[in-house]
Amino acid sequence: MNWKPNHYAMLGLAIMSAPIIVQAKIYVSAEQAQKILLPNKSLTKNPIIITDELQEKMRSASSIRHPFKGERIWKSVDGSWLVIDEVIGKHEMVTYAVALSPNGNILGIEILEYVESYGYEVAEPEWRKQFVGKTANDPIKLNQDIQNIGGATLSCKHITDGVKRITVLFDLALKNANPKTLSSK
Amino acid sequence: MIRCKPLLGTFVEISIDDGTQIAIENAFSVIESIQELMGFHNPQSELSQINCHSHTKAIQIHPWTAQLIKIAKEVHIASNGLFNCGIGHRLVVAGLLPRHINLSNHDLGGIEDIHFLAPDLIQSFRPVCLDLGGIAKGFAVDMAVRILISEGVTAGIVNAGGDLRVFGNQPRTIQIRNPALPEQLIEIGSLVNGAIATSSLYFAKRDQQKSYLINPLAKSPTEAHTEVTGSFSVLAKECVYADALTKVLALSNKENHPCFDQFSAQAIRIPA
Repeated sequence: MNWKPNHYAMLGLAIMSAPIIVQAKIYVSAEQAQKILLPNKSLTKNPIIITDELQEKMRSASSIRHPFKGERIWKSVDGSWLVIDEVIGKHEMVTYAVALSPNGNILGIEILEYVESYGYEVAEPEWRKQFVGKTANDPIKLNQDIQNIGGATLSCKHITDGVKRITVLFDLALKNANPKTLSSK
Repeated sequence: MIRCKPLLGTFVEISIDDGTQIAIENAFSVIESIQELMGFHNPQSELSQINCHSHTKAIQIHPWTAQLIKIAKEVHIASNGLFNCGIGHRLVVAGLLPRHINLSNHDLGGIEDIHFLAPDLIQSFRPVCLDLGGIAKGFAVDMAVRILISEGVTAGIVNAGGDLRVFGNQPRTIQIRNPALPEQLIEIGSLVNGAIATSSLYFAKRDQQKSYLINPLAKSPTEAHTEVTGSFSVLAKECVYADALTKVLALSNKENHPCFDQFSAQAIRIPA
């Protein structure tokens, strides 16, 4: 191990001179997430209209108030599904992808983007929009300089809640849109 | 290449400078396996089996669980008991962990009660409620790094929600959240082939949670939940030691606690 401390930071000067603000980390794109979670499967976009009733059931099962949008749903020929969703906490917005088997088992979860803010902005759709669909190669300076962040453990509870609402979505909407699974039982 | 998955209750980031997607995939898999073995939340995990039965019968455990318990015992002795995984019941009572076992037994022991009958066979002298939350993340980071290296990756970073290890010859800048304003980062230095872990309560305070920093030597539950301000980081060659030793630093508030030397570790306190 070789450690070179930054003595200015230890004196507290770095905080005053140039604070680095945690803002956004972009990991993979929607396309990359598809390849990672459902490799070698050809996917077709399969948006679902989310009725008020379904929205309410997903909300009560997951305690996530932010409405689910049914646009980013893909289906593979073997009946697997890929759903991209985002959870919005008080301080962060996380976009993630969930892959489900034809029976609704979770095959994998991948984080696409993690955006953090301690302001009111995170609740503003306009502010969030600037990050959606960006890749790490975009000219907007995202995570190039903030790679190795240490600190108290960041909880991923919101993702657990998010995945809950995706399993409700599967049970109430996707499963029935999958006649192959039904007939094979 | 950088990827992130929700594991171990946090966001685990793996970044590699070279190597394949399969290397990252295998590194995430090993972390998943550790979560399945050592998770407190899962009533089927090996840890839950130890908590349920180890005082009544010998329990066969996975070599990784055995390795982690050995390290936990080692740090427990070196810290004079300030690090002890036998604090799960405090977190259960506070609602911070789920209740799988009956805690009415007042004579709960600690990691010191676990003894090895064979390299992969343990038993406990007293009932225990172990929580490996203060050490397993570091262990998982080390195992993931080991997998990446064995897959031929020459340089990279594994970061389990703030506990991280870097490998390869390149120095990496390390930023730590400012405990007073966690959205701001402080560049504290650069690290080659080493690990850094941090304990702090700023997220718990922000989310109005009770302190999860438990003093194992406290006699009463109110005394046990320790309130600290600032942030407590430890640098070590391996993340498992860095992770465990942050508790010793936060509870002792001593940067020169003798056990840091024993593990060639270095402590850093950042005031809030």
